Amino acid sequence: MENLTIASTERSPAVEFDFDKGRLSFRGESYPEDASAFFGPIFSALDGFLSSRPALAVQFELAYFNSSSAKAFMNILQKLEQAAQSGMTVCVDWRFAEGDDTMKEFGEDFAEDLEQVTFRLVPL
Amino acid sequence: MLAEAYRSFKQILDEKGIVFSFSGYLSEGILYSLGEALRQKMVLEEADVNTVKKVFSVFVEQSQNIIRYSADKLRGEASGHAVELSSGMLSIGTEGGRFFIVCGNEVRAADVPKLKARLEQLQGMDPARLKEFYREKLREAPDQESKGATIGLIEIARRASSPLEFGFDAINDDKSFFCLKVMI
Repeated sequence: MENLTIASTERSPAVEFDFDKGRLSFRGESYPEDASAFFGPIFSALDGFLSSRPALAVQFELAYFNSSSAKAFMNILQKLEQAAQSGMTVCVDWRFAEGDDTMKEFGEDFAEDLEQVTFRLVPL
Repeated sequence: MLAEAYRSFKQILDEKGIVFSFSGYLSEGILYSLGEALRQKMVLEEADVNTVKKVFSVFVEQSQNIIRYSADKLRGEASGHAVELSSGMLSIGTEGGRFFIVCGNEVRAADVPKLKARLEQLQGMDPARLKEFYREKLREAPDQESKGATIGLIEIARRASSPLEFGFDAINDDKSFFCLKVMI
């Protein structure tokens, strides 16, 4: 499978999906014009990866995202939890700027739904 | 006359504490530019970083609601690609030391009862209930026709420091002017 790399824009995060190393990261801000067009290829790559690999480490390092992106991130975390429940080793680092209450609270909210995924809140 | 008329128009905005105001056809490109100007201005005024984020977030959700749901739209082709512009207004100001964001746009009369019910439901929720409701909606598949409107409105309500204020003004049998004011 091919790695997936999406460069950041003013309104969408940098995405790096390294299949061989089992790493996926999101960095920047996320309020794309069309959230389904932006996240569609990421969902497809993730589905492909989760059906064939043993472990994944995911990093989120976001400064702002809108509600459509929140929905997409929740969707990604649900897929990860499902994979973890089927035996995959999944860890998520939720990195946020120290003092950013909104991003910290989002991390806490997302973490509540995860049982098998190892979720860490990482203040920077 | 010309200067007087526009000066009084500007004075009305100033008296309401409005620092930014846009009225007309809004696009995602305009949203981006206005949002950047808004953030830069708040940073220059040394507003608290969490306040800047809340104002920006409400601004984005309200703008995207206008872009998606305004009942006054222009559709067509420009420079060889499909263009859709949505009419509405957006104002950001300060009142009693707090920021507020107001948006206004036409909505279909048939959509008024549902939108009113949604907003009244949010008005009745405290922060803990809003947070819980947000998480419920995040987990759900999106409503067929609402392109995520509910989650956007909950995000707006969560960033507000007092209950949402809103109103409708009937234009004719088919359309109504909808207005939403959010205090940060």
